[in-house]
Amino acid sequence: MSEPSVSRPRRWDKPFSLEAGSEQEMTDAGVEELLQQPPFSEIDASGFKRSLPLHDILKNDARIVGFDEGDIIVRRGDWGNSAFFVLSGTVRVELERGESSLPDEILGRRRSRVKSLWESIAQLWRNHREPEVRAVAEVSGSSPPLQTRMTRGRTRIYLQEVSAVLDKYRTARLEAGHWFGELAALGRTSRVATVFSEGVSQLLEIRWQGIRDILRHDASGGLKRYIEDAFRERALAAFLRTDPLFQGCSTELMQRIVDQVEFQTFGNYDSSKPFKELNSNPEQNLESGEPVIIHEGEVPRGIIMIRSGLARITQQYYQGRRTIGYLSPGQIFGLDEIRTSINSSSPLPCQTQLSAIGHLNAVLVPAELVAEILQQQMTTQNGSEQSKESPARQTVKIQDEALLSQLIDRNYVEGTSLMVIDLDRCTRCDDCVRACATAHDNNPRFIRHGPVLNQFMVPSACLHCVDPVCMIECPTGAIFRDLGQGDIVINDQTCIGCAQCASNCPFDAIRMVDIRDASGDLIVDSKTRAPLTQATKCDLCIDQRGGPACESACPHDALFRVDMQDAARVEEVFAR
Amino acid sequence: MKQLLIQYRYRLSTFLVLVVLILSGTWLYSLTLAKTAFASGTLLLTCILILAAYQWRKKLSFLALGNATAWLQFHIFVGWLSCVLFLLHIGFHVPDGLLEFALFLTYSFVFLSGVLGWLLSRIIPYRLLSRGEQVIYERIPVHRRKIQETVEKLVSDSLKSEEGTAVADFYHKHLEDYFAGSRNQVRHILHSRRHRHQLAQRVVDLQTFLNEREQETMRQIADQIQLKDDLDYQQSLQSVLKFWLFVHVPLTYTLILFALFHTITVCAFASTSG
Ligand code: SF4
Ligand code: SF4
Repeated sequence: MSEPSVSRPRRWDKPFSLEAGSEQEMTDAGVEELLQQPPFSEIDASGFKRSLPLHDILKNDARIVGFDEGDIIVRRGDWGNSAFFVLSGTVRVELERGESSLPDEILGRRRSRVKSLWESIAQLWRNHREPEVRAVAEVSGSSPPLQTRMTRGRTRIYLQEVSAVLDKYRTARLEAGHWFGELAALGRTSRVATVFSEGVSQLLEIRWQGIRDILRHDASGGLKRYIEDAFRERALAAFLRTDPLFQGCSTELMQRIVDQVEFQTFGNYDSSKPFKELNSNPEQNLESGEPVIIHEGEVPRGIIMIRSGLARITQQYYQGRRTIGYLSPGQIFGLDEIRTSINSSSPLPCQTQLSAIGHLNAVLVPAELVAEILQQQMTTQNGSEQSKESPARQTVKIQDEALLSQLIDRNYVEGTSLMVIDLDRCTRCDDCVRACATAHDNNPRFIRHGPVLNQFMVPSACLHCVDPVCMIECPTGAIFRDLGQGDIVINDQTCIGCAQCASNCPFDAIRMVDIRDASGDLIVDSKTRAPLTQATKCDLCIDQRGGPACESACPHDALFRVDMQDAARVEEVFAR
Repeated sequence: MKQLLIQYRYRLSTFLVLVVLILSGTWLYSLTLAKTAFASGTLLLTCILILAAYQWRKKLSFLALGNATAWLQFHIFVGWLSCVLFLLHIGFHVPDGLLEFALFLTYSFVFLSGVLGWLLSRIIPYRLLSRGEQVIYERIPVHRRKIQETVEKLVSDSLKSEEGTAVADFYHKHLEDYFAGSRNQVRHILHSRRHRHQLAQRVVDLQTFLNEREQETMRQIADQIQLKDDLDYQQSLQSVLKFWLFVHVPLTYTLILFALFHTITVCAFASTSG
């Protein structure tokens, strides 16, 4: 009997231009045409590997997409997974954030509104007895003002009155030859502005692996320079200043730092799949799956500051390595070594090793400049103590290294609001689940069940990740990060039930449910008659007055939420 | 114990101060020759109503009413205080009237069940974590059913494969009833493992009379016996935690009814001064 066999999937089995939402296949002729015009004509194709030529990268990782008047191309706050190059037409970038920017309703988001006192109390009798009841008018999309339409094979949100929007909100015009969206795509961060099409436009969309490979192999470095310059110019100084070390820097020194910082990228993934693999097989992570950023014993060339992603700190322990901490965005590595080197005037090698968990972007600030900052601080006599104690700087550590290792291996360190139940205190009364149900129209958004690490259970509830892979590929942007509070929430009015988020979530925290009307009947698709489904998950009780109901309902102080990026809190709660 | 006292030192000292205040207040009040029972009764009734309000806090969990942990601590504190007031109120004697006696009994049960519940909620979580998978109470029957099916399949397979009937005989004699439902509840509550040991011993005794395949089947059945026992353990202890509330809460409402009735009758038929 022969074994069942399948060929291993390869990177370009499915070109970008054949994925859902594309209009036409990217042809050889199309690619050749692109390569004739700048900036692609300026790329030095000779440095590309034979197995990864520039032509094939463009053919497989790029696609040409057309937009009609008013179509939203990217939305502020959404997940950035690809960059855009304007081929023809004009697009508009909204300029301001906050009050004067495009309102959430227009962007397909629910404005989060906390329930009034009366509405909160009325939940006791107004909640539906049937599960997952929705207002039919909202689901059918008939409730204004969100506008979606099917254009060129893709559900798109669009602005109806473009001229009115242009009058009312400040925007900038981007014409043919401009790039946008590249920072979010490469940094795995959310989009900082909304961009929409003014009139008909044609754009080249490149998924981030494609840009990454062009950046790596283009010997002339044109595109790399463009993207790095953009980050240097628009965001780097502000990013560095989030750490107290850089806060007191003189403008002149900061300018030199900005000019000399190196950008680094580690790890290799663009979807939730590697996350899931990590979760299902935590043992194999350490040596095989995590690229080393700085080896133990190596003299650091500078300090590493994490831009996005998470890094693990390990130390040699007999024949293996043991995890002793991790770093999250904004935290830095290597400062102590450089500081000691200055004092002892001989270079100090790293006592620990830093490696990337999943995908990681970092910046390296050269050691000479760091030394200069430290010296500047010492002369002003205020900085060194203050920067040493900065909580943001701290590596996240837990006394129990085995527990720490498990938290990292299972990727729970991604959570900004990880639910943890201390089973030594939990009386299994389910008051937490009941409170959650009351706050969600009688539908509890988590079950009190999940892996147990030491005495801590991590139930299947949304972690509200730093790097929320569930948001990748949501076609309508129904799942989004609430810009006010940072929580990941789902808008029922725009969720089309495609289950993309549920299948991407590595923690199985999103459930697809059949929805019903107030009388309990299933709501069905008018054409196919199939029941409509929608995604549901914990929204941290975003509309409730008392915050997360589960946490405040636990009488035994057994259930708590932890921001795994908060070193002090992590240490405190896991040491109980 | 010492640690516990240190941990609760603020609450304990507040409690002691309040008790001293109540006692001296009562003594001063008694000097006026007024009936102290009226004052202690009023305070006691207030305490009981505050204690009952905890249940309502649970229902209004979505309001910003402070977290339930703080409420529970307050509930326990007021509970102990009510006990002092109650003793003062009854003058440290068991009352003799029918209603008063019923009231006395109800309060005592509510108070003792409260203390018991508090102890149980401290002890049982540790125990639950020490054995078996962490399962949701309502899902225990489903898990048990699965285990039972696994064992029944092992037994029926052993019959099909033309082995002897030893495994099946053993199952019908010693295990059928064991797998049919929750067993040994009291033993689990008392933390006894004797039944488990006895069953394991029976399996070992049988092994010498079995061929290799039967031995393997019996080993698998033995694993299921342990799984099922752990499940029973979880169920028994979780039942205790749930059952305790079914006693404490209804009794509290009964107490409130009795207390209100008692207050009305006392106010209607007695004067407040000597
Ligand atoms: S935070 Fe709110 S939605 Fe999330 S699990 Fe707790 S109660 Fe449910
Ligand atoms: S409310 Fe607290 S004690 Fe009760 S089940 Fe939830 S976590 Fe456990």
